[in-house]
Parts: sequence; C-alpha cells; structure tokens
Amino acid sequence: MVNPFKGPSFLRTFGLVLLAIAVLFTADTFLANAERAESLAGAARLFQQGQALMQRGDNAQAIERIQDALAIERGNRDYLRMLAQAQFAAGKTSDAESTLTELLQSNPTDGLASLVMGRVLVKEGRFAEAISYLHRAIYGDWKEDAAGNRLRARFELIDLLAGRNSKQELLAELIAVQDHIPPDLERKRGRLFLLAGSPARAAEVFRGILQDAPEDADAIAGLGEAEFARGNYREAERHFQTALRLAPDNQAARQRLDLCNEVLTLDPTMRGIGPTERFRRSRRLVELTVGETTQCIGQNASAEVQGLLDEAGKALKAHVSAVQQSEASESNLDLAEELWQARKQECKSPPATDGPLGLVMARLAQ
Amino acid sequence: MFLYALRVAGKTKTRGVRSTHKMDSNNHQPSWIGKLNRSLERLRQSENQLSLVLSLLIGALVGLVVVAFILLTGRLASRMYPAGGSGWRRILVPVLGSLSTGYLLSRYFPFARGSGIPQTKFAIFINDGRIMFRTVLGKFFCCSASLASGIALGREGPSVQVGAGIASVVARNLGLTPKQIKALVPAGCAAALAAAFNTPIAAVLFSLEEIMGDLHAEVLGSVVLSSATSWMVLHLVLGDDPLFHVSGYRLLHPSEFAIYAALGVVGGLGSVCFVKLLLGLRAWFMRLPKRTVWFQPVAGGLTVGLIGYFVPEVLGVGYNHVEKVLNGDMVLKMVVLFAVLKIVATAVCYASGNAGGIFGPALFIGAMMGAAVGGVAQALFPGSTAGPGAYALVGMGTAFAGIVRTPLTSVIMIFEITRDYTIIVPLMISNLIAFFISQKLQPLPIYEALAFQEGVHLPTAHSRAHTERVQVGQAMRPAPVVLSPDMLIASALHRIKDLALDAWPVADAGGLCGMIRSSELEQASIDGASYQNVAAILRPGARLGGSKDERVAHVHPDHSLSLALERMGAGGLKVLPVVSRANVRQLIGIITLDDILGAYGVAKRPSSMEQGN
Repeated sequence: MVNPFKGPSFLRTFGLVLLAIAVLFTADTFLANAERAESLAGAARLFQQGQALMQRGDNAQAIERIQDALAIERGNRDYLRMLAQAQFAAGKTSDAESTLTELLQSNPTDGLASLVMGRVLVKEGRFAEAISYLHRAIYGDWKEDAAGNRLRARFELIDLLAGRNSKQELLAELIAVQDHIPPDLERKRGRLFLLAGSPARAAEVFRGILQDAPEDADAIAGLGEAEFARGNYREAERHFQTALRLAPDNQAARQRLDLCNEVLTLDPTMRGIGPTERFRRSRRLVELTVGETTQCIGQNASAEVQGLLDEAGKALKAHVSAVQQSEASESNLDLAEELWQARKQECKSPPATDGPLGLVMARLAQ
Repeated sequence: MFLYALRVAGKTKTRGVRSTHKMDSNNHQPSWIGKLNRSLERLRQSENQLSLVLSLLIGALVGLVVVAFILLTGRLASRMYPAGGSGWRRILVPVLGSLSTGYLLSRYFPFARGSGIPQTKFAIFINDGRIMFRTVLGKFFCCSASLASGIALGREGPSVQVGAGIASVVARNLGLTPKQIKALVPAGCAAALAAAFNTPIAAVLFSLEEIMGDLHAEVLGSVVLSSATSWMVLHLVLGDDPLFHVSGYRLLHPSEFAIYAALGVVGGLGSVCFVKLLLGLRAWFMRLPKRTVWFQPVAGGLTVGLIGYFVPEVLGVGYNHVEKVLNGDMVLKMVVLFAVLKIVATAVCYASGNAGGIFGPALFIGAMMGAAVGGVAQALFPGSTAGPGAYALVGMGTAFAGIVRTPLTSVIMIFEITRDYTIIVPLMISNLIAFFISQKLQPLPIYEALAFQEGVHLPTAHSRAHTERVQVGQAMRPAPVVLSPDMLIASALHRIKDLALDAWPVADAGGLCGMIRSSELEQASIDGASYQNVAAILRPGARLGGSKDERVAHVHPDHSLSLALERMGAGGLKVLPVVSRANVRQLIGIITLDDILGAYGVAKRPSSMEQGN
C-alpha cells in the first residue's frame, strides 16, 4: 500500500502538480495562439502570392501556393474558391469541380462557387447542369457587391443561353434583368433581344439609345437588324445605309444592306411595284424555288414534287400577256410556295432561312 | 492564498487528521483547509481513489508537457531551417544541433539518448519505474533542439519517455510504493502518446501491447483515464485537427486486396532493411572509443544535412510531406527516393546517438513505400485501383507494424489518425503480412534489440508468452497415495513411510477434503494421537470446503507453472493438489516443486514419481 511518507511532501507534490498544470496550460495556450496567428499570417501570405501569380497567368504556380495556404488554414472558403478558379484557369476542370463540390457541399448557396462551377461545367459541355449552377449563382450568397455579382452571373447565363440559341429561356432572363442593366450594357441587351427572337423589344432598346446618341452607328445598325428581323426591309435598308455612312468599315452592316437589297428586289409583295415587275419577281421566285428543290432532291423526286416541278417548268415557259400578268403572278406565287413546302418536307437538309429566297418565302407565308 | 493553504495544510498533516479538525475550530482557520486536508488524507489511504486521481492529473500534466514539446519543436524548426532557406543552412543547422545536443546528452543527460521506449521499459521492468527528473528535462530540451535542427527522428518516442518520467517523478514525490509507481508509468506513456499522435485508443493499446507487453494488464483503467485526459487537453489547446488530413479512400475492386498484400510484403522487407541497418550502424558506433560518444551524433547531423542540402524533405519529422503523399500529391520517383533517403538518414541519426524516436520516421517511410506501390499499381491497373494516397495510408501502418512490431496498435493508430474506417481491412491484411515477415527475418523486436546492444535484456512479449505457455497439466502427476479422512494416523504414516512428499491429499467418497503435511502426521504420532483419524488433525486452512477458511491452496491443469510456484510460496508448501475446474473436489493429481523444476529442465524428477506410478 502507501508508503509511510511525510504529509507535507504528499500535499506539496499535489500542489506543485496542480500549479504546473496551470502554468503549462497558460504557456501552451499562449504558444498555440502565437503559432496559430503565425500560421494564419503565413497562409494569407501564400494566398496573396497565389493571387498575384494567377493575375500574371501563372496558374500552375498559383495552384501550388494556394494549396500550401490551404494546408495551413484548411477549409478556408476564400482560399478554396480561389483554388477552384486557378484550377479552372489552368484547364484542370476535374480538380476544379472536386474543389467546388467540397465548397458547395458545405454551403450550397455559395454564389461564387456556383458561378465557377457553372463555368467548369460549360467547359466540360454539361450545359444543363451549368445552367442550374448559374441559376444558383444568381440567387446565391455573395460576400461583397452581391447585386453586381448576381448581374454578372445572370449575364454569363444569358451568354450561355444565347450561345445555345435557347430563345425562350434567353428572353425570360433578359426580361428579368432589363430594369437593372447599366447604360453601358444597353446595346448588348438590344442585340440579345434580337437573338432571343424579340425584335420589337430590340428596336425599342436601340431607339432608346439613339434618343441620347443619335449618331451611334452601332445602335443604328442594331435598329437596322431589328427592323430586318421584323421584315421591315425598307426601314432596315435605310438604317444600314445611315450606319455605313457613320461607320463605313462595318462589314456586318454592309452584308445586311446587300441582303436587304436582294430581298427588296426579289419580294413580289413589296408596295409600289407595278404588275409587270410583280410578275417578273414571281417568275424569279419560281425559278429560284425550282433550282433549290432540284438541287436538293435531285433525280429522286416524288410524283407529287415531280408534278409541281413539271408545272413550274410549264409556267416558266408560258407566254403571259400583260392582261394576264396579275393572275399569273398569283399563280406563280402559289406554285413557288407549294414547291417550297414540298422541298421542306422531302429534303433532309432544311433550306437556308437567312438567304433572300428564305426571307421572301417566309414573308409570303405570313 | 494557494501556497498559504498548502503551508497550513502541511503543518496540520504532521499532527494528524484529528488535530486538523481541532485547528479548524480553535485557530479560526478557514474550514475548507480542514476539509481539503481530510479529503487528501482519505485519498492517500485509498489506493483506488489515489490511482484514479493520479491518472487524471498525470494525463493532464503529460498532455500539456507534450503539447508544449510539439509547439516548441515546431516553432524552433520553422526558425532554424525555414522553407526556402539557403542550402548551406540545411547542412549547418543539423550539424550544430547534433553537436550541441550530443555534448549535453553525453555530459548531463546520458539516459535521454535515443528513442525513449527501451529506456521506459527498462525503468518499468528493471528499475522499479524510476526515471530521473533530470532525464525528463534532458529529453525534453535536447529532443526539442535536436528535432528542430532537422535531425530525421520522431517526437513520439521521446514524448513517451517524458510522459513516463513525469509519472515516475510525481509518483515518487508522493511517496508511493514501487508497485504503484510502476503502475502509473504506463499511464504516463499512454498520455504522452495520445497527445503526440492525437490517438487516444492507439496510445492505450501501445502502452499495453509494447510497453507492458500484456493487453490484459491490471493498469488498463489508469492507462485509459490518463490517455483520455491527455487527449482532451490536447484538443482544448490545439483544437480538433487530426494529425493528417486524408481524402476518403475506398476499395475500388476486390483484386486490390492482392496489391495491399504486396504492399505488406514490401513494407515488411523495407522494415527489416531499416531495422537491420539501424542496428548494424548502432553496433558500429558502439565499438568506437568511449571518448567519441559526445561527438558521434554529428555523424547523424552531417548525414541528414548533406541529404537535406539536395532533398530538404528528409529533414525533421516530415509530417507535412506525409500529408502531401497521403493526398496523392507526389510523383512515383520522388516517393521512392524519399523512402530510401529517410531510411538512411534516420538509421544514421539514431545509431549515432541523437535524441529522437523512430515512430515518426516509420510513418514517413511507410507512407512513401505505400505511395510507391500504389503508384506502380495505378500505372499497371488504371481504373481498378485507388490512388497512391490510399496505399500511402496503409503503408504507414504497414511500416509501423513491421518496425515497431505492434500490429494491433498500428491498425488502430492509422484508423484514429485518418478517422477513416473504410481502409481498415486492407490495412489489417497488409499489417499482418509485414509483421510476420519482420518477425521471421528479424526475430528480436527493435526496442529489445537496442536494449540488448546496451547489455540490457528486457522481457519480451514472446518470452512472457513462452513462460506462460508451460502449464501445470504438462508437469503434474497422479497422487501416489491418497489418504482417507477416516484413516488412523498410524496407518497413514505407515502408508507414506517410503515416500518423500511434503504433503498428502486427503479424500473421501465425495472427493478431495484437503491436504495434510507429513510433519503434521508425525507430530500427531509423537503427541500420542496415532489412533485418531486423519480428519481430526486436518486444519481448516488445509480443508477444501465452502467457508473462506477452508480453501486449500490448489491449482488447475491449465494454470501456468509460475502461478503454481506463486501458490506454493504463499502457502509454504512443496506440493499442491491439481483439481478439476468443473468440480474442485475432484482430485486430478498433484504437482511438486521438483516437478516444476523438472519441467524447466532444472532438476530431475524425484524417484517418488516412479514409485507413485
């Protein structure tokens, strides 16, 4: 059992042990806090180095620095976000995805992480998931400048939708954002409305711009595009001419102007043309649709199409007197339309809708 | 106030508990001092309570000391050879560090050299649990300086010695008996390891498996308490970070078991290489003249410095690099290089007499070997194997099992370090293979071998198990004569007159009644009681019955011979009855002192055996 020892020794030892525990606890806490503070400062330094390297485009080095910072301050969300961005920038999309998954698992409403995840998924071609993450970014939490970041995220989504020609979703996003767009992005909004298939809204936007800056060549060209999309080729022609006068190097406007001219010289429904010109244009339309159909279908035409082609051949060879020109014009237009529809049904490749023939036929169908 | 209380309490203690109470009322001292006195006195008198309280206190104290050790070493290291520092600094610092600590160790702290595990075992098994305070101080400061200067050794072994030393110093200052001191030392070890590795369960297992060599040791309670307390202290000060952060790994394909088995073979062979190299170098250093002892550690410092000049990863404990490899952030060629260089650096540093342990290096080497095997496996079977990090993780346990030879501890330790259960089965397979290979090729475990080189023969778990394996059933014999309780003493004497046994079993129809000594029968005859029954002189202590007084010393066939010897010694007998466990009155045979000696090959069995047969 217990040795016969002196009481004071027993008590003193107990006291000393307790005292030592108290002293050591204080010293350890001090040392640990100092260590922690140093570690955090070291991590922050490495992180800043990583940021600087990233800005210089040295993403591989930046990743290493940020990973070193993360090894010290594990779980720091800012470091993880930056790491994901560096990984994405370095083309390491799977690494970036894994980093972002970790971030989003712990906080699914992280706006920046969702945005970068969206970008990663776009790069991987997973558009549906990307759109979902961009939505999360729009409605997620942002540490600073939430409104600005959300708007930027929405524009990334809009760009993605525009790139994928998702007109309805694009229009929905544009309508949602239209009251919050800064003035410098108005022109882009107009173009996007055009892409979304809403030329009326686009024209409205461009007119708004032109009220403040009547000599804005881009806005005038945009307005031309809007009018063109609405089928107002005469108006469009006028705007493109104005735009080219202000900015003669605008090749897109020039091409559009040429197209306008072609449509305007082909369209038999154009106001102000006489019966003879109307008849000439209707014959030209029949010629073009026959050419398009023959080129597409070749020798394998069905009996119905062959019948239409034969009929068109006769119509083109037929001599029409001036009195019969109006009636013949209507007949030619009907024949051209039927041929166009038959070509659409029997040809594997769809007809070009942005060429003069396609545009005129679309106008006739209206 | 606290010191005043101690002083007053001290004075009262010398006058005894009763006088303390008197002083409370007569001298107007605060009553809580009296209460404290009485509590401490009660505590002192109760061995169980004292053990409980001391386990908690030692756990907390050792935990705090080890945390200080970790923090101090880390801070010193970051200043001595900072990341990105010049190459010359990486040579100079280890050399100067080993030179200064070598001198201090040789001149002032000779018992603080090396790992600390053999020294702790020496203290427990040979030195009554005695570790000097000077050794604790020396170990703490010399190891801190040595590890911080980049010496490629670990901090866990020294922590164990520091923990054991603190437990020993506290226990001795409290005036405890050697038995009590020896019981507290493993608690100190467990507390130290729990704080050093952040692995409380593995710390308990290590204390029992390696230090005590017995998983059923009586000290289990105090070891668990102390380990848990130390772990809590560690968390309180340093937070809840595991030693290594590891991604969640899993088995991708059942065929991976074969690769893990291959890792076991590689780990086992690597461990044997490391141990043999270390022991060979140690033997070589020990053959050098005594006067060079203080200078020898410089060999380790210079080796690690030169290696560190080209490969800085080899410097120090290297846990940050282990973490990198665990997360699969290193290339195959590099991990192979690191493993080889670390084996060389650690072996030279340890063998040359630097202060530091081999736990940390074992984990480092294992992680690198594992990552190498994993890297090769992934190159050969892409898509059906886990990443190199998973193999590095298992490799750590494998090397630990192969080098330190504690397979159970290593499994639990890796589990606790990573907190990942999914890797346990591959880990067990790999560990056991490494353990068996290591045991086959290097029969003497490293700590016993190191002690052996110092001329100290520590008991090994194997030797203890061997001793325990010889059982009573292998040495017992049938009783040559069984006396009846109704038999006359004269007749009994007649029956035993040609036989030279110290005592005889007495049995009736119901079975064994007790044992009677030859001397008792002879004395009864001299006293004129020859015509009385044997039962009349059968002492209660020699009877086999229900009451506490009627419990004759006996053994069962599955008892160890050492226990039989113990019981003979306690009862002052040279003969014990061997009885059935199912029915203690069923006499199976007897065992004599000569039988036991004969079983160990010390003495021949007496002729009475043949007579008996």
